[in-house]
Amino acid sequence: MKHTLIGLSVTASMMTSVALAEDADANSFRDGFLSGDVTWEDVEARAKQEGTVNLYYWGGSDPINIWMDQIVATDLAKLGVTLNPVRITGTKDAIDLVLAEKGSGKGLGEGSVDAIWLNGENFATLKRQDALFGAFADKMPNSQFIEWNADDPRSLLNLRDFGVETGAAEAPWSGEQYVCAINTARVDKSKAPATFAELKTYLEANPGKFTYVKPPHYIGNTFVQAALYAHNPDGNGAEPFQASIDEIGAEEFARLITPGIEFLKEIEPLLLGAQSGNARYPEDNAALDGMFLNGEVDFNCKFGLYAVATGLNNGTYPEGAEAFVFPEGNMIKNKNYLAIPSNAPNPAAAMIMANYMTSVEAQTSKLKFTGMPPGVDPWKLEEAQVEALTEASPGLVGVTQAELDANTAPDTNATLVDVIEATWLEYIERDSSDDIPTIVGRAVENLK
Amino acid sequence: MTPHKTKELARHRKERIWMWVQLLPVLAVLTVLFGGALVLAVMQSLGFAPWFGVNTFPDFSFFRALWGEWSFWYSLALTLYYAIVSTLIALVFGTLLALAMVRMFPGKSLYKYLYKLPLMIPYTVGIALAVIMLGNGGMVSRLMAFVGLIGDPSEFPQILKTHYGWGIIAVYVWKQTPFVTLTLYAVLLGVGRETEEAAAILGANKRQIFFQVTMPQILPGIISSTLIIFAFNIGAFEAPFILGGGYPDTLPVIAWRYFNDADYSLQLQGMATVVSIALIAGVILYSYLAIYRGYERRIGRS
Repeated sequence: MKHTLIGLSVTASMMTSVALAEDADANSFRDGFLSGDVTWEDVEARAKQEGTVNLYYWGGSDPINIWMDQIVATDLAKLGVTLNPVRITGTKDAIDLVLAEKGSGKGLGEGSVDAIWLNGENFATLKRQDALFGAFADKMPNSQFIEWNADDPRSLLNLRDFGVETGAAEAPWSGEQYVCAINTARVDKSKAPATFAELKTYLEANPGKFTYVKPPHYIGNTFVQAALYAHNPDGNGAEPFQASIDEIGAEEFARLITPGIEFLKEIEPLLLGAQSGNARYPEDNAALDGMFLNGEVDFNCKFGLYAVATGLNNGTYPEGAEAFVFPEGNMIKNKNYLAIPSNAPNPAAAMIMANYMTSVEAQTSKLKFTGMPPGVDPWKLEEAQVEALTEASPGLVGVTQAELDANTAPDTNATLVDVIEATWLEYIERDSSDDIPTIVGRAVENLK
Repeated sequence: MTPHKTKELARHRKERIWMWVQLLPVLAVLTVLFGGALVLAVMQSLGFAPWFGVNTFPDFSFFRALWGEWSFWYSLALTLYYAIVSTLIALVFGTLLALAMVRMFPGKSLYKYLYKLPLMIPYTVGIALAVIMLGNGGMVSRLMAFVGLIGDPSEFPQILKTHYGWGIIAVYVWKQTPFVTLTLYAVLLGVGRETEEAAAILGANKRQIFFQVTMPQILPGIISSTLIIFAFNIGAFEAPFILGGGYPDTLPVIAWRYFNDADYSLQLQGMATVVSIALIAGVILYSYLAIYRGYERRIGRS
C-alpha cells in the first residue's frame, strides 16, 4: 500500500512538473512577445512547431464555412499552420469552454481554444474573467492597416468594443452596420418608414407586417438598442449609452430607456402574429430571413451592410429587396474581432492566423466570398488595395455609402446590453406588472 | 450434509453470481450516470453550485421563485396538454391500425414495412418536415397561393408556432402511432384470434368483442406503450422549441432558456425547472401504474 502511495505521489509530482515546464515555456513566449523581445520571425518559427490553430466561430453561414475551408485553410497551410475550424452554434459555447478550462487550472498552452470570432458581451466576459492572451493586435505586421491612433476619432471602433476597451487583445476582423431591407415588390419604397414613429404608423395601417429577432439574440438586442437611442428623453441618442452601468446607475438608466421600452411595448400588438394571439419573434436571423422571403413580413433588419446583394445572389432574399435608411441617425455600426484566450494551446499559430486574417488579401477574398465588410480601415491602405476591396464588394442596393455614413450610431456599452436584455424579457415577453425602474434595478442587482 | 446438497448449493451460488454479472452493466449505468446526475441536479436546484460561486445549500428559493409565478403553471398546463393529447391520439390511431393489421388485406406485406417508417426517422427530421409542409412559407401554403386560394403564402392559417400546438401534436402522433401499433400488434399476435371468434360464435357484436374480449387482453400493451410515449412527450425539447408558440414555453424549453442565459446564476433556476419536470412526470407515471396495478388485482390478474 505504502509503495503504491509513494508511486502515485511521485507520478503526480512528475506530471505537475512536466505541466509546469510546458506552461513556463508558453508563458515566457507570451511575456517576451508582449514586451517586444520576441520578433515576428520567432512567432512564425514557433507557429510552425505548434502546427495547428483551433479557430472557434459561428458556423451558421455556408459562404463563410466554404471560404474558411477553401481559402483560409489553403493559405495558412503555406505558412506551415493547419487550420482546424470548429463551427459552433453560439459564440457563448466557446467562451464557456475557455472559462471552464481556465477554472480547472489549464493555462497557456494547455487549453483547446486558440482563437474566437466574437465581439460585445462575449469579449467583455473574457476580459472581466481575465481570460485574454494580451495586447497582440497592434504588434502584428498587418496591424498597419488598422487605425490605432486614439487622436483620430475614427479609431473608436478599434479601441472600444461595445464600449469596452479592447486593449488590442482582439484584432478587428470585420465591420458591420445594422441595416434594414424592404420588399419593394410589396411596399412602395417611397412609403418606407424612416423613423420609429413612421414604422408605427405603417404597422397601424398594415398590422403584422413586421417583427424583430427575439432578444437575447444580439440581432434582436441591436434593434432594441436603436429604439432606445431614438427615444432617449434627453435627445442625445447613443451618447449616454457609451458609459458602463456602474457609471450611469440603475435609476438614471431606467429613466433613459423608459420611453424606448414603452414604444416597443406599444408596437407589440402590431407585430407579426399578434392579430391571432401572440406576437412572434423569430429566434435568429435565419428565421427572420425566411419570413421576409415568404412575404410574411415587409422588412428585415439585421447586421448586413451587403446583406441585400448577397441575399439576392443566393436566393435568401425576395426579388425586389432593397436596403433603406432606418432608423434615421441610429443605424448602429460596430466591428467584430478575433480574440486569443489566455489558455490558447497554440498562441503563436493563433497570431499567425490573426495576422493573415487582417491582410488585405484575406479581407478581399472574405468580402468577395461572404459579403462580410472589411475590418481594416480604408484610409490606412494604398489606393490599389482600396480598389481591390471595392471591386470585391457585392455592392449596396438601395442606399449609398454616404447615406449610411450619415446615419451611423455606435453600439451600446456591453454592461448595459445585459440590463436591456433582462428588461426586455421581463417587461415585454413576460408582461411583468412591475414598472421599468423596479425591473432595471432588479436586473442590475442580479448581474452584479 | 450430503455431497449432493453441497453441489446443489454451489450451483445456486454460481447462478446467483452469474445473475449479478448480467445485471451489473445496466445497474452501473443507472446508478452512476442516471442516479448521479439526478442527485447533482437536485443539489444544484437547492443552491449547491460552488463552481459558479454559489453555495447556499439547502435553499428552496429557486423553487419558490419558479412556482410562485403564474407563467410556470401556464407552462406546466401547456406541457401536459401537448403530452396528453398527442398520447391519446397516437393511442387511438395506433390501436385502430394494430387491429387492422391482424386482418388480411391485399398489400399487407408491403404495408407492414411502410407503417414503421416514421419509427426509423428521427424527431428532428419530422419537425423539419412539419416546417417545410405546414409552415406559413411551407409547401402547402405556397401551393394554395399558387392555385389562387389565398393571396400570398402569409395568409395561410397559422398551424405552427401557436399555443394550440397543432404542429407539435402532429409530429408526436406521426412518430408515435407506429410505436403503439408495433407494441399492440405483437400482443395481438401472441393472443391469437380464438377468443374473439369464440365470442362471435356466442353472439357478441363487434363493440362487445372489442371492449370485453380484445381490449382486456391488449391492455398491458396499451399501458406500457402509452407510458413510454407520455414520458417522452413531457420531457421533449426540440418539437416545442421549434414548433411552439413562444412565451410562455413548455417546461423543457424554459429550462433550456435558463441554461443558455448569459447570467450563470440562472442555471440553478434551470436546474429547479428540470427537477420540477422530473417530479411531475414521476408522480404522474407512478400513479398511472399504481391505478393500473390496482385494476389488475381487482380482475384477478397479478
